[in-house]
Order: sequence, then C-alpha cells, then structure tokens
Amino acid sequence: MRKDKDYHLSDPTWCKGCGIYGIFAALKKTAVALDLDPEQLVIVTGIGCHGRLNNYFRSYGFHALHGRTLPVASGVKLSNPRLSVLAISGDGDAYSIGLGHFIHSLRRNINITYLVVDNRIYALTQGQTSPTSETGFVSVSTPYGSKELNLNGPRLALASGGTFIARGFSGDPAQLSTLIEKSMQHNGFALVEVVSPCVTHNKVNNYQWFKKNIYNLDDDSNYNPRDKMKAWKKFSNEKKIPLGLIYIEKRPSYEDLAFGKEVEPIVSGDLGVDAARLEKIMEKFR
Amino acid sequence: MQKKGKMITDISVMIAGMAGDGVLFTGNVLAKIMKRQGWEISTYRDFPSNIRGEPTNYTVRASLKKIYGRGDDIDVFMAFDCDAILKHSRRMAEKGILICDGRDFVAPPPSKSKARTYHRFPLRKLAIGNFGKEIFKNMIALGALCYILDLDFHLLETIISDAFLKRKGKEVVRKNIQAIHLGCEQAKEIVAPEERHPLKRREDYDRQFLSGDEAIAFGALAAGCRFFAAYPICPATEIWQWLAVYLPLFNGLVVQTEDELAALNMALGASYAGARAMTSTSGPGGSLMMEGFGLAGMAEIPIVVVDVQRVGPSTGMPTKTEQGDLNQWIYGSHGDFPRIVLSPGTVEECFEFIIKAFNLAEKYQCPVILLTEQDYGQGLRSVKRFDLSKVEIERGKLLSQEELINIKDFKRYEFTPDGVSPRVLPGMKNGLHMVESNEHDERGYRDEDPEIRVRMMKKRMKKLKSASKDLIAPKIWGKRDAEIGIIGFGSTFGPIQEAITQLEKNGARAKYLQMRTLWPFPLKKAEEFVTTCKKIFIVENNFSGQLSLLLKSQVRTPFDAGNIINYSSQAFRPREISTCIQKAL
Repeated sequence: MRKDKDYHLSDPTWCKGCGIYGIFAALKKTAVALDLDPEQLVIVTGIGCHGRLNNYFRSYGFHALHGRTLPVASGVKLSNPRLSVLAISGDGDAYSIGLGHFIHSLRRNINITYLVVDNRIYALTQGQTSPTSETGFVSVSTPYGSKELNLNGPRLALASGGTFIARGFSGDPAQLSTLIEKSMQHNGFALVEVVSPCVTHNKVNNYQWFKKNIYNLDDDSNYNPRDKMKAWKKFSNEKKIPLGLIYIEKRPSYEDLAFGKEVEPIVSGDLGVDAARLEKIMEKFR
Repeated sequence: MQKKGKMITDISVMIAGMAGDGVLFTGNVLAKIMKRQGWEISTYRDFPSNIRGEPTNYTVRASLKKIYGRGDDIDVFMAFDCDAILKHSRRMAEKGILICDGRDFVAPPPSKSKARTYHRFPLRKLAIGNFGKEIFKNMIALGALCYILDLDFHLLETIISDAFLKRKGKEVVRKNIQAIHLGCEQAKEIVAPEERHPLKRREDYDRQFLSGDEAIAFGALAAGCRFFAAYPICPATEIWQWLAVYLPLFNGLVVQTEDELAALNMALGASYAGARAMTSTSGPGGSLMMEGFGLAGMAEIPIVVVDVQRVGPSTGMPTKTEQGDLNQWIYGSHGDFPRIVLSPGTVEECFEFIIKAFNLAEKYQCPVILLTEQDYGQGLRSVKRFDLSKVEIERGKLLSQEELINIKDFKRYEFTPDGVSPRVLPGMKNGLHMVESNEHDERGYRDEDPEIRVRMMKKRMKKLKSASKDLIAPKIWGKRDAEIGIIGFGSTFGPIQEAITQLEKNGARAKYLQMRTLWPFPLKKAEEFVTTCKKIFIVENNFSGQLSLLLKSQVRTPFDAGNIINYSSQAFRPREISTCIQKAL
C-alpha cells in the first residue's frame, strides 16, 4: 500500500489558510485510498492558484494554458485510457475562459475527473471579480459592484448532460476525498466542484461565510442523486449551497462508444506501415 | 488548346453554372474519363461559399504531359446559364468551343468570335421533357462534349454507375446514362465532323487521382498518425472526412472538437501521451490556434498542424485560394519559440511532406506546420502512385521503457548539445516529470530564475539549427545560368513552371527557386540563388508580398526584386506571370 508521502513532492506555498491546502490533503487521501500509482496518474492543471498543485503533488503533471485543461486531459485519456486522468481548474479557468470546453466535455463524457476549485475570485491576478462572484460583488475590477449574474457551474453541468456532479468544501477534506474517490471510479466525465475560500483576496466568501451557507446532501438519506429534477431543484436554490454527490447517471462513456471493449490504447499501437493494406486503400484514388 | 500537328496535347474545360447545377459532379466525371484515357489531369474549383443559388465554376484541364494548374485559357466552355457566358467567355481561347443552351446564348463581339465554335443545344427542354428535371441538362451537355472529344462512352457509363449506384440506386444511374446518350445523339445532329476534336486514348498508366487534402490525409495515416482532432472549416475539412473513415480502422481516433482551441490542445494532450497527433484548419482556425501553437513550442510537444489557406482576413472568402497565412505561422503567437513551416507545391509533395512533418515534429519536439492552399487542397490531380517503401517513421529521442528504467535522474528538458531532450510518456516507470506552459527547469517545473530562462530559451531555439540539416531543401528549377530568377512557394509551382516555358519561347531564360521549407529559413540556398540572378521576381498570392518580406529580412545580400502578386482569390494563370516579367525586362 502506498502512503501519503508517496504523493507528496514538496511542501506547498499557497497563502496560509488557503482552501487549496484542504484539496491537496484530500487528493493525497484519495490517492492512498485508491492506491493510485503516481506513474499511472496524469494531473492536468490550468492557470490560477490551483495550478501550482503539480509542483507539490507527485505524479505526471501538465500545467496547461488558461482554460484549456479539459482538451489536454481529454487528448491524454483518449490516447491512453489506461491512465488515470485528473483535470483541475479554478472558477476562471473552468467557467470563464474555458467554458466552451466545460460544456462539450460534459456532453462527450470522457472518463476523466474534473475538479473545479471555486473561490469566487481571480486570485492569482490579484483579486478581480470572477463569473461565480455574486451580483454586486465589489473587487478591484468591479469597484462599484458586479453587474452580472453569477454562474452556477454544477447546474450548467446538469443541463449539459453531466453524468457525475458533486460538490465538496475545501474545509472538509474528509468528505471531499470521498467524493473524489467516487468520481474517479465513475465511468464517464465526473465533475467535482470544490468551494474554497481565498483568504487573501475574497473577504466576503470566507470560511465562516461558507460554513453558514453550505449543507450536506450526503447526510440526507431521503435524497436520491439519480433523480435529475431533484438535483436541478437543489442547484437552483441560490441561498444554500448543497454539498455531496448531487447527481449521478449511467451513460456509456466516449471511450465505450469509440473503442468498445478491450482495445489496445492508441499509444501502444504499432505505427509501422502495413504496406499491403495501404496499397489497397490507394486503389480508391482513381 | 495546345496541339502538336493535328493532335490535341492540352485541353482545358470550364464548366460553369449555379451552385446546385451539378457543376462539380459533371466536372469530376469528365476528369475521370480523361484520366482513365491516359491523360494527366488538374482541376480547379472556383466555388462560392454557399450550397445553392450562386454562380460557380470548375475547370478540368487535361494534358498529355504532367500539369500542375489550370493553365491560361478555356478551350471548351460548358455554360449552364447566360450569366456564366457573360462572365467567363472573355477567358475563352481564340479557337474555343462553347456548349450551352440556345436560350442562354449571348453573341460575343464579332472580333472575338471569328475562330470560335458555338454549339447550342436545347438543354433544359430536353432535360425537362425526357426526365422531368432540369438538373439532367448537365449530363446531356456532358454527353455532347464526349461526342465532340470522342471520349469512351463505355468508360463514362462505368464512372457514372460507380458514382451513383450505391448512393442513389439503379434508376438514377439509368437516367443519367440515358441523358448522356441523348446529349451524344443531339451532338451528332448539330456538330459537324470537322468540329470534332478526338482526344487520344492511352493506357491508364499507374496514376492516382486525388486532391492535396486527400494526399495529406492518406500520408498522415501512412506516417502513423492515429489521433486527429479538428473543427469544421473550408477548405480543410476533406482531410478530416477522409481520416474519419480510415483512422478508426487502424485503431486511431478522430474527434470533432468545439473549436480550434480545443482541437489543437486535445491533439497536444494526445501527442504528450504518445500518439502521433495532428489537426487541420484554415486561416481563421489558425488564428485561434496561435495560443496552443506557443504551448507546443514552450512545452516541446511534437505536433503537426495543416493550414489549407483560404482568402483572408477575417472570414474572407472561405472557398477561394490565397497564400496569406505565411506571416501567421512564421511570426504568429506571442514570444519566441521554434517552429517549422513546410510548403508543398504539388499534391505529390503533400504526401511526401506530411510524412516528413511527423518525423520532424518528433525529432525536434516542436510544432510543424504544413502550409497548403485551397488551390491544390481541393483541386484534383493525377499523380504517380505513392511509393510506400520510402515511408520511414522516426520518433527521435523518445525513450523506451527499457532505456528509461536505467536512467538515474530523468530530466525531460535536459540541456543537450543539440537542444533536443529525451522524451518519455506518462505511464512509464521512472519518468515522472512536469510539462509546463510556464518557463521551467530541466525537470519541467516552473522556474523564473533569469539564468535558467536564458538557458532554456537557448536550448529550445537551438533545435532550429539542429533541424536545419534535416529539412526539405529549396529546389531550383530551370537552367542554372539563367539570369532571370523567380521565387515562389506553394501552389504557384505549376503557373511558374509554365511561365518559364512561355518566357523561353520569347527568348527569355528564367530559373525558379521553389521554397519548400519557409521556416527555419533556408538561408544558404536562398542567398546563392539571389546572388546568381540579375533580375528577380517574387510570385505570391497575397497583398503585402509576405514571401518577399521574408526573403528581404533574411537574405544578407541586398537585392532588388519585382513583386508579382495576386490577391484576387484566384490562382495565378501562367501568362499573368510571364507577361509581367516580359514587361519588366
């Protein structure tokens, strides 16, 4: 069995108290629980404070362009489905500059896990309003208050054909780790949004605020995560933020449809030219 | 119409009408018969970016010798409406032949019409009367043309049957063949025996018939490309559509992405994981790819991007030809990073260069751009069968698991004399590393130390120098001692070659430098060429003379050159070039 230290590359240097520490801890816990081989795990991160995670977590890592984590992660997974592929984005990465990829990845249902670290602010660029900041939010980019409606990622995911939608809180790494564990076992695209305070730039949505506004669906034995309408209602209540596994559905993954069963990954195929076969194809150019 | 004695050696047929008239289909059937009768073929599409209801024309040129473009004049003009006649008849050769519906006929000024022949058929009436549909006028006209050129009707029937049987069934095949014969019978009544121009029949020797787009797709398959991601765009989609059929049969995958940002980034993910990956696009998609282009440079991920150029800027003219993306790929994206830009001039070179592109991408771990054009991207050419025995797959410094396991301290971006570092794939044991879009150290981890930055930049840029010996060299055509020098890239290949022949007939000797690699710039060869010419002309399909600017910024010896440019959305005609040069002498 592997241990926490097998995944610990170096000590993180996020701001003291940053929510991402909780995510880092939860990820390591998940890796231990699933006994993931670091050499079989690819973590693709985007641009934002979360993007430093590759520097601290031991695995194959890819720090992609701003907003482009999902296309890169999808390309990796489709070429070698034997790898575990985890993509991580911030709210700016996932819900603003990379939003097109978000929707289409949900539709595509490739077997990857997508963590969206939502701190409701652009932190790495020093505190601008993000698409998840609430209307009226005051920041350096909206000194007179944001004029836009905040975006609800999980609800959008549900509308876009998401097959696994969960939400965790970086202040509760234990539950978060359980959710990530489940997401990695899900066949298809799994979204885990993680609400996470930015202690430096977001003075509104801090730990106390989140604690006051979240509630846990995992504790509700009456809640059925397979009921799409119920999930829709839960996401639609803007006042209270539900945590837990909110929606799950069984649908063939992209790989199931593209490759069927037991096909050699693209990367292990022989590139050599089967001349006779190609000659036959060439006959068609007449 | 070029002739040798009485025998036709070169003939150019334009078919024009409205989109929806079956212009492309008719042209392709004609091209296939002539090709199978042993002629060399080159077709040229001048289509609107619309499905129905706008004027369109298609030129099929056949020759007994190898050709690479549509040539100068229209020898036979098959026009399906009056507008087409008004628009294109001025392009007809002196002894040109017009085939049209009598109702559409517009008499040209007598000075022009002396030697021309006009064949007027009741095309619409026959089509509607016999088949109830006007569309059959195209096959009736084709039948008449086949009579005039004495083409093999049996072959014609086979080609039509091949084209329709599976898709549309027996009845459609029967009607079309009937229409062809109807056209032939009509022609027998209208066309005098001396107005017939029988084309020579030769063995259909070992030739294929395909477009540049198809040659690229086939070449990519042969080169081991197994992952392709793209977004639909004219005129590059044919590459995708071909691969979409064949890649899955070779355990490969084609993914339709939401945009070109995703297309390139997904292909980069696939390449990083170890697949030979490619995307194809045209100018506008290229603009979106500039971001990922830089990532490929920074993270040193092999990737092949095909840009089938169309008219820009902006949406431009999506189905027309231009060479305006040279600057985009040589200078595009922020910051400095190594990139290789290849420019095939023919369909044959499309096949050859795409294979080379995959090898260069992996050997030098950088983006390789194959810059082609709508002209031969969508145009069909008869070409020699591709020689598959020459296909070699070189993966450069990609380590095997056995090699990697013995390395003590693996560094993905190790400083090496040639700038190329060992590469391993995720999933391999002992190879953990980081791939960074930020500046990074030898292990790939983000590093902003100015010293590391300088060393990393030098390492990456050094790869261009290392690659320079391995690139496709420019080719010099024509007599070495000629004093007139012509420089061009891409599809100007055919028109320039023919222009040289035209110049020779007028006593002017010219040679031609075909730029086959645009970047890294082939300095030595270009310098040599420039210094051995007294007059230089640079021929290109864009407004600002992008090749000319490139040459002038790179070649050390100052030189004067005449720019022959065409940004009309049309490919060069040889005479445009030769006349321009002749005037300047």
